[in-house]
Amino acid sequence: MKNGPIFFLGLFTALTLSWAGTVLLSNHQLGALSQYYDENESAAFPLHQPGLAARGQLVYADLGCAACHTQQVRRPDFGADQARGWGDRQSVARDYIFQSRVQLGATRIGPDLTNLAARKPAYDADDLMSLLYTGIIPGTKVLTHPPYKFLFDERPVVGQTSAQALKVATPAGSQIVPSERAQSLVSFLLSLKNTYDYPEARPMPAEKKEGEHGAKKEEAPAAKKEGEKK
Amino acid sequence: MITAQTSASAEVTAIDSAARWPLLLLLVSAIKWLVLSGVLALIASIQLVQPTFLADCSVLTHGRTVAMQESIFIYGWAANAGLALALWVLGRLGGSPLRATNWIVGGTIAWNVAVTLGLIGIATGDATSIAFLQLPRYVQLMMVVAYGAIAVSGVLAWAGRRTEGTFAAQWYAVAALFLFPWLFTAAQMMLLWSPVRGTMQAVASGWFSQGVWTLWLAPLALAPAYYIVPKVTGKALPSYEFAPHSFWCLLVVGGFTGGRHLVGGPVPAWIASLAIVSCSLLLFHYFVVFMNLRAGFGRGSTASRLVAIGLLAYVFGGLVDSITAFRDIAAVTQFTFVEAAQQQLALYGGFTLILFGAIYYAVPRLVGKGWASGALVSAHAGLALLGVALLVVSLLAAGWAQGHDMLDEKISFPAIAAHMRTWLLVAVAAQGVLLLGNLLLFVNFLKTACPSAAAPAENPFRPPATMEATAS
Amino acid sequence: MSTPPNSDPRLEQAAVSDDSLLAAHEKLLGKKPDDQANYRLLPLNLLFVFSGLIFFAGTYLNLYSGHFDPHIYNEHGLPHKGGEVVKVLTPEEVIALGKKLFNNAACNTCHQANGLGVPAVYPPLAGSEWAVGSEERVIRIVLHGLMGKISVKGTEYPGSQAMPAFGKVAGSGYNWSDDKIAAVLTYVRSEWGNTAGPVTAAQVAATHAKEGDHKAWTADELTKLP
Repeated sequence: MKNGPIFFLGLFTALTLSWAGTVLLSNHQLGALSQYYDENESAAFPLHQPGLAARGQLVYADLGCAACHTQQVRRPDFGADQARGWGDRQSVARDYIFQSRVQLGATRIGPDLTNLAARKPAYDADDLMSLLYTGIIPGTKVLTHPPYKFLFDERPVVGQTSAQALKVATPAGSQIVPSERAQSLVSFLLSLKNTYDYPEARPMPAEKKEGEHGAKKEEAPAAKKEGEKK
Repeated sequence: MITAQTSASAEVTAIDSAARWPLLLLLVSAIKWLVLSGVLALIASIQLVQPTFLADCSVLTHGRTVAMQESIFIYGWAANAGLALALWVLGRLGGSPLRATNWIVGGTIAWNVAVTLGLIGIATGDATSIAFLQLPRYVQLMMVVAYGAIAVSGVLAWAGRRTEGTFAAQWYAVAALFLFPWLFTAAQMMLLWSPVRGTMQAVASGWFSQGVWTLWLAPLALAPAYYIVPKVTGKALPSYEFAPHSFWCLLVVGGFTGGRHLVGGPVPAWIASLAIVSCSLLLFHYFVVFMNLRAGFGRGSTASRLVAIGLLAYVFGGLVDSITAFRDIAAVTQFTFVEAAQQQLALYGGFTLILFGAIYYAVPRLVGKGWASGALVSAHAGLALLGVALLVVSLLAAGWAQGHDMLDEKISFPAIAAHMRTWLLVAVAAQGVLLLGNLLLFVNFLKTACPSAAAPAENPFRPPATMEATAS
Repeated sequence: MSTPPNSDPRLEQAAVSDDSLLAAHEKLLGKKPDDQANYRLLPLNLLFVFSGLIFFAGTYLNLYSGHFDPHIYNEHGLPHKGGEVVKVLTPEEVIALGKKLFNNAACNTCHQANGLGVPAVYPPLAGSEWAVGSEERVIRIVLHGLMGKISVKGTEYPGSQAMPAFGKVAGSGYNWSDDKIAAVLTYVRSEWGNTAGPVTAAQVAATHAKEGDHKAWTADELTKLP
C-alpha cells in the first residue's frame, strides 16, 4: 500500500470489479428487456401505464409508501405471498419495465401491492379513497393505516354534492373531496395488475433428479402438448 | 494551552492544534445531525405503534419521516463524523499538520447546506424513494463537490506522509475518502439522471446501498478503530500480517453483496446467489478484524471500551448478515423488522459506537484538555449501550414474530401488528434512550469545545512510550 | 509496559506514540526470517478458513445460480436447452381463444355468431359435415380459402362470395399462425352441438408444409382428399 498511484488504481479496480460483476452484467441481461408479444392475444405485455397512473406513481414515491409496502410477489415455496392472494405467479423483471421509479420495497408493515387491482374481492376507487382518508381497512373497523387527511380538501357544498365526495360524516354543508394527488394515487393503485403469465414466470416442475435437469424441463411443456392432442 | 514538549514522542503536537477548528466544525455538525436524526427516529417508531401520530402533517408522514431520518443519519451524522475522524487519523499518522484546512471548512459548510436543502426537499415531496439515496437529485451534485473539497486534505495528508510505509488505519481512511464519490456518482447516474430500466433500478440501488456500508461506512469506522486500539493497549496487533488481506477482502467482496435484499425478488436468481456467497466470503474479513482488535477490551477507559464494544457489534453484525442472507432464513426474515435490526446493529451498534469511542478519544487531543464532564461521558456511554441493545433485541424479536406470522396466510396484517406491538413499544423506548444519550453528548461536546476563559491546566497527556514490534 | 489502567472517562491516555506504532507495524508486515522456526498456527488456520469459504462459494454458485441465466428466477432451476419455451394452452384456453378469433369480425360476419350462416349465401357451420368431417379438408379450407359451389347439409351454396384464405399463405389478408387456425377449428368443431375432436397446431403445420401456397380450393378438389 506504499505506492500511491497503484493503491488508488487498486481501490478503483475493486470498485469497478463489483460494479461490472453485479450491475453491468445484470444490465446486459435486464437493461434492454422489452415487452413479450403474445401471438394469440395479439398484444404485447406488460401494457403501458395510463398517464394519471404514472403521476400517481410519483405521488407514491414522494409519500414514501415503499417504507411499509412492497411491490413484489415471491414464488409459492418462498413465503405465503400467493396464499395470501397477492398474486397468481411470482413477479418477474418484465413486470416493471415501464415503471419510471421501481419501488420494490423492503419492508412489509402493510401488505404487498403488486396486484392490488386484481384482488378478489376487488377494491374500487371509493374503497381506496376511504382507506387513505380514514386509515380504516375497507370492510373492517380496524385502523392500521395512517390517515392522510392532507390528500383531501374540505369544501362547502354548493348546489349538489360532488360525485367524488367521500361517504364520511362531515359537518352540515361541507363535503370531503379528494385532491388531484389523491386521484392520481388511487388511479395508480388501481392500475397495479400484473397478471399476464410470462414464460419465465411459470413455476418449476416439482421433482427432478440431478442428471435430468435439462431433459425434465423439456418434458414438462411437451407433456402439456400431449394433453392437448388427445 | 499545552506546555510545549520538545520530546519527539509528545502525545499532542502542532498537528492536532492545526486540525482543531475544521475537525471540531465537522464534529459539531455531526452530533447536531445525530440528535435531529434521533428525534425523527423517535417519531417514526411512535408512528409504527400509533399510525395516527402526526399523520395529518404532510411533512411528517411515516414514509417521509423514515426517508429524512435515514438521510440525516447517513449523510449528516455518519458522513461528518466519519470524515472528521478519518482526516484526524490521516493527519496524525502522516506526521504533518493537515493542509488545505480552509477547504475542509468550506466543504463542511457546503455539505451541510446541501443536506439541509435536501431535507427540506424530502419534507416537501421530492424524496427519490431509493434506499440510502433519498435526498433529491438537485442537491447531490453539491454534495459530491463538497465531499471532494473535504477529502482533498486527507489525500494530501496521506500522499505527503513522513513514513514510507502505511498503517491499516490509513488504508481504510483513504479508501473511504476515495471510493465514496465514485459510488455516489455512479448511483446518481444509473438511478436519477439516466435511470436504467425496470428492476435494474433495484439491482443498481442494491449495489449502491451495500456499497455505502461495505465500501464507505465500514472503512470510516475501521480507520479510527485500528488506530485507537493499539494506541491504548500499547501492543502491536496480533494478526497484523493479515490486515491487508482483510482490507482487500472487504473492498472487493463487499461490492458484490449488492443483491443481498433481492432474494426471491423479480430478478434472476444468480444476483441473489452471488450476494449470498459474498456475504459469506466477507466472514474472512470480519474474522481477521476480530482477531486483530480483540485486545481492545482491557486497560482503557470509556473511549476504548466503546470502540471495543462497537467492534464486537460490527463483527457480530457481519455474522448475522451472512446468516440471514441464506434463502431458508430469508424466507422468514425478509421484509420484516429483522432486517431493520440488522441495519441498526451495523449502523448504530457497529459504526456509531466506534465513532463515539473515537470522538471521546480524539476531542481532548484536538482541544488540549479532557472532556468537560466525566459524568456526562459515562452517562452517554451507558445510555448508548443500553439503547442499542434494547433497539436491536426488540426489533429482532418483533421481526421474528412478524416473519412467522406472515408465513401463515390466515393471520391478517392487523393481527400481525397487534402481536408486534409490545416489542415495538420497547423499540420506541430504546429510541428515547438513545436520543437522551445523544443530547448529553451534545451538551458535553459544546462545553468541551467552546473556548473557555479559564487558565490552561498543565498538560494532562501522559507522554507515550515506544511500542515493541513483537506480536503478542 | 505496565501502564496503570486508565479509569478517567474524560481522557483516554495513549500508551504508545504514533511513530513507534507505525514503525512496529511496518516491521510486522515486512519479511523477517523465522530464526527459531516458530511458525504460528494462526496463519494456517486462516488459510484453511479462507479456502473453505471459497470452496463453499463456488459450490453454492454452481448449484444455485441457474448458470447465470437471465430467465431463471428459481435458484433450483437450470436453463433449458433449445430456444424459448412457447406458452402452452390448456384445452379450455384453446377453445376460448378460438371463440375470440371467430367472433373478431373474422368468421362471424359471414357464418354468423350462431354458426347458421346466411341462407343461399354463406353455408352454416353448425352440423356441417365439412366442419366436423375430415381434418384435412377443413384445415385446407381455412388455410387457403374456398371458391365455387359447395353442398352443405343437402343445400347448394352457389359460392358467389368466396371464402378468403386465413393462413400465412400468399394472398392472405389475415396471416393467421397455425396455432390460431387450430384454435378456431377446435372451437368450431365443439360449438353449436358439433362434437368432433380438436385440431392441433401440429396437424395444421403438417398440412401447411405439405401444400405450401395454394390457391383457393374447390369443393371437388377437397372431396378427392381422404
